[in-house]
Amino acid sequence: MLRQINKYLGKLTAHGLISNPGDAQFYGLDDEIYSNRDRIPEVVRALFDDLNINSLLIARPEPLRWAIIGELIRKRPETISPSDSESLTFIHDIPVIRSFDAREIAGALSRRKGCIVEGLGIVTAGSVALEQAFIVFSSICFATFVKYFADMLSAMSGAEGSPEPSPEEIAACRGYLSRIAMNPMTPPLPGSLPTGETEIVSAMDAAGKTVVAAGLVDSFFGNISAREGDHIYISQTGSSLDELEGHIDRTAMDGSSTCEITSSSELCAHVRIYELTGNRIIIHGHPRFSVIMSMAGGRLAFGDTRHIGGVPVVAGEVGAGARGLVHTLPEAIKEHQAAIVSGHGTFVASDTSFHDAFVRLASIEEMCFHLCIKAVNP
Amino acid sequence: MPELFSHTGVFIDLGSQKARVERVGRDISLACLGGRGMGMHFLGMSPRIDALDPESPLVFATGPLTGTRIPSSGRMEISAFSPLTDTVCSCSVGGGLALQMKKAGIDIIHVKGRACRQCMIMIRDGEVTFEDAPPEEDLPLSAFFERLKPLGASAAAVGSAAFKGCRYASILVDSSFASGRGGLGLVMASKNLKALAVRGSGSSRRQALDREAEETARRDIIRLFDASPFIMGRSGISAYGTSALVDLMASYRMMPTANFRRTFFEGYRAFSGPVIREQYRPRPSACPGCPIACKQKSGIEIPEYETLSHFGALNENDDLAAIIESNRLCNEAGIDTISAASTIACLAEIRQERYTGQSLVDRVRSILGDHREAELLRMGSARMARELGEPEKAMSVKGLELPAYDPRGAYGMALAYGTSTRGGCHLRAYPIAHEILRKPVATDRFSFAGKARIIKIAEDLGVVIDSIGACKFAFLAASLEEYARGLSAVTGLPYGTQDLMRIGDDIYAMERHINSQRGFTRKNDMLPERFYKEPGSSVPGIDIPPIDRGEYEEALDRYYRVRGCNPDGTLSDERRKGLGTCFVR
Repeated sequence: MLRQINKYLGKLTAHGLISNPGDAQFYGLDDEIYSNRDRIPEVVRALFDDLNINSLLIARPEPLRWAIIGELIRKRPETISPSDSESLTFIHDIPVIRSFDAREIAGALSRRKGCIVEGLGIVTAGSVALEQAFIVFSSICFATFVKYFADMLSAMSGAEGSPEPSPEEIAACRGYLSRIAMNPMTPPLPGSLPTGETEIVSAMDAAGKTVVAAGLVDSFFGNISAREGDHIYISQTGSSLDELEGHIDRTAMDGSSTCEITSSSELCAHVRIYELTGNRIIIHGHPRFSVIMSMAGGRLAFGDTRHIGGVPVVAGEVGAGARGLVHTLPEAIKEHQAAIVSGHGTFVASDTSFHDAFVRLASIEEMCFHLCIKAVNP
Repeated sequence: MPELFSHTGVFIDLGSQKARVERVGRDISLACLGGRGMGMHFLGMSPRIDALDPESPLVFATGPLTGTRIPSSGRMEISAFSPLTDTVCSCSVGGGLALQMKKAGIDIIHVKGRACRQCMIMIRDGEVTFEDAPPEEDLPLSAFFERLKPLGASAAAVGSAAFKGCRYASILVDSSFASGRGGLGLVMASKNLKALAVRGSGSSRRQALDREAEETARRDIIRLFDASPFIMGRSGISAYGTSALVDLMASYRMMPTANFRRTFFEGYRAFSGPVIREQYRPRPSACPGCPIACKQKSGIEIPEYETLSHFGALNENDDLAAIIESNRLCNEAGIDTISAASTIACLAEIRQERYTGQSLVDRVRSILGDHREAELLRMGSARMARELGEPEKAMSVKGLELPAYDPRGAYGMALAYGTSTRGGCHLRAYPIAHEILRKPVATDRFSFAGKARIIKIAEDLGVVIDSIGACKFAFLAASLEEYARGLSAVTGLPYGTQDLMRIGDDIYAMERHINSQRGFTRKNDMLPERFYKEPGSSVPGIDIPPIDRGEYEEALDRYYRVRGCNPDGTLSDERRKGLGTCFVR
C-alpha cells in the first residue's frame, strides 16, 4: 500500500499537479490506514469511519491551478459544473465546501467523488484503489482549468448569459496565461513505423509517456493505437498513457474476437479511421487549450463542423452511442490527419510515425494556446 | 415520508389459502430499501428455520426504482433459505413481474405455508385468488407460460425439476428470466406452489417527486453506458450478451475446465460470441426499461456466459448445439444451469468419464429421471460427491457450485467466493469488474493486497443494487453516485452514496449473522482444496499457480476485521449491536 501511495505522489508531482509530494496527504485503508504522513488526523479517521472508501487524497494543487480554482470559487458557488464533456460524463459536478470539517467533507464525498475545500485544496476518494483518488484529483484539476478559460473566453466574446468580465478579471486571466509554458522537453520518438508486436507495443508505450510528459493528457484519459495488417494494437480502457506496458490489447479490425471488450472506449472510432484512411497510428489526447478553444464560439451542433487554424472541430460524445464521436470524427480526420472533438480532445493520425503524430498533436495545442492568448489580448 | 417509498405487502398463507394486504412499517422501509433488503428482513424473523419447512418464507420484493425512468432498474429479488446451501439466499431476476407488481400497487409478496394441492396464486390489483394447478410432470415451462398468456399477467413459475426435488431448481419469470441460484424453485414447490401471477391495472410509469432531477440522473447514466466498452462497445454485452466474456476469460487463462482441473479449454471458440452470432444470428432482448439489452434470442435462448462456459469448458465439450440444448432443457424444467453443469462435471470426474455432445444432453435429461444417477444429480455436487465418497471433487463453496471464473485467475474473486453469503457466487461482489474488466479502475488480479476492504465495499454495494431493483451490469459503467441521485429524485429522500452503503453494510452483516445462527463459520468461507494445491493452465506470460492458502487466510482475517467479525467469521457483539433494530432478532 505504501509503495502505491508513493507511486501516485510521484505522479502528482511529475504531472505538475502539485508542487511537491509534501503538499499531499494520501491515505489508503485495508484493515488499517496507511499514509505518507506519520500521524493520521482525527478528521481522516472520522472520514474512513463514516465513508465506505479505501483511499483518500487531500492535496493543494500547484499555485497556478490553485489560483485558477480560487477564481472559480470566489463567488462562493455550491458546486462547479465542468464545461468539457469528459468531466461532465465522469465527475458531473464538483462540490465546494468552506471548511475542513469531517461532516461537511463526508457530505460532499457522499454525493460526488471529490470536492474542493476553500483555503485547503482538493479532497478525493476511491472505493477500489488509490488510483481512483489520484484520477479524480487530476480530473478536477483539468476540469477547473478548462472551465476557467472557457468561461472567460465566452464572457469576453459577449456570449449571451455570460457577464462581462471586469478589467481586473481580464488582467488576472492574462497573468495566468503568461505563467504557462508550452513545449516541455520530451524524449524523441521513433521516426518510422514500428513493425511486429514487440516493436509496436514498445513504441506505443514510449509515445504514451511522451504525450503525458508534454502535458497533452491528464488523468487516465486519452488513448493510442497502431494498425498492423488486419489487427489494431490499442490502449486498454482506463489505462494511463504513461503506464501502457501490459495494458495494450491486440484486436482484430473485423471484431472477430470479443477480447477487445477491455479496449479503449474509442476503439470503434479508431477502427473507422483506419478503415477510411491509410493511417497506421492514432493518438488521442486532451490538450487543455485545444479543448478550451474548441468550445470558443459556442455550442457546436452534432453533425456540424467548424475549424481552428484549418483543423476541423466536430461534436460527439464519448463512445459509440447515437451521438457518439464515432459518427463524426472519422470523416473529419481524413483531410488533415487531425480533428478536435469539441469540449473533449484532439485526435491525430499518421501514416509514417508516432513522432509525426505527436508533433501534430503538440503543434495544434501550441496553436490553440496562442489563439487563447490572442483572444484575451484583443 | 413520501408515499412513493412506503412498501405494501401481500402476505399469503398457502395452508389456509388466506391473504392480507399490509403496509410495512416506515422504519423497515427505510432500513431495507426493498428487494434483497426486504427479503433479509423477513428471513431474519425465523433465522433457524429449515428451508423446506412450510413456515419458511418465500419473498418476492421489488425495488423503489421499479417503474421509474432510471435506466436498468426493473429487476426484483426473490429470497428464501436455500435448500442447496442452507444459507440465506436471494436472487435478482428480470422480466416483467416487478413492473406488474408495481402496477398492482404491491411491493412485496410474502408466501408461507403449504397448499394441500398444487396450486397457482393469481393477484389482480391486490385481490388474491388461489387456483388449482394439477401436476403435469412433462409440461415444459415454455408451454406453461404460453397458457398463462390470456391472463395478461406476468408470472413466476417452477418446472418439473422442482417437484422432483432438485436442490438447485430455479424459478422462471416470464419464461426466460431465471432466479437461478440456490434452489429457490424447490422452496416454491415445497409449498405446492406452481406459479404466482400478477396483473395490475395501474400506471406503468411511476412519477418521480423531482422529475427534473430524475431526468438528469437518467441522462448521466445513459452517457456512462454509451461511454462503456463493456456495455455499448462493439464487443460489449449489448452486442453479444454475456457471451462477450468467452474470448476474454479464455485469453486470461481463467476459464474453468474439466471440473476446475484446468483453466484453459482449447475448444472455447466453438461457443464464443462471434461464432454464436454467425451460427444463430441472435437479436438483443431486454428487461423492461433497460437500454443495455444483454439477453440474446434467436427463436431459442442463447445461453449466458456462465452456462456456455460450464456446459462447454467445464465439461470439455465443444459442441455448441449440445450446450444450447442443455440450456433449453434446464429452462424448460426449471434448473439452475451453473449448478447442473458443475454437478455433471463433478460426476464425470468421479467416474473418470467425459460427458460431451449428446451424452451431456442425456445427463441433463437424466436430472429429471427416476433412477439412481438422477437422484445423485438432483442433490447438487456437494451432497452427491459426499454420497459417492469423494467430497473434494465438488467445486463449490457452502454447497453452491462455483461459476465460470476460476479463482486462481483472480484473487479478489477467490476471496469473494469464500465470503459470499449465499455460497460460491460471482455476483455478490463481482470483483471481475476491476480485476478483469478494469472498472472503475484495474487492480492486480494475482494479489490479495487491499482486496479485503474492496470486497467488503463491493458486497455492500451489491446489496444496495439488489435492494433498489437495479442491474449489476449497469454498475460496470455508472456508479452509485448516479443511482443515489435517481433514488433521491424518485423518493424525495436526500440519499447520498454513503447513506446507501451504510444500509448495504447492515444488510450484508445481517446475512452473515443469520448464516452464523445456522451454523456457518470460518471453515465454510474456505475454497475447495483443489485451488490451494493444483495450478491452473499457465502459458508463457501468464502463470496460474495454486492460491497460497496462508495468503488467502490472511486476506480472510483482514476481511473479518473490516466486516466486524470475530476470527471465526461470526459477527462480533459490537457489530451485532450496531445493526439497525429491523435486523436484530
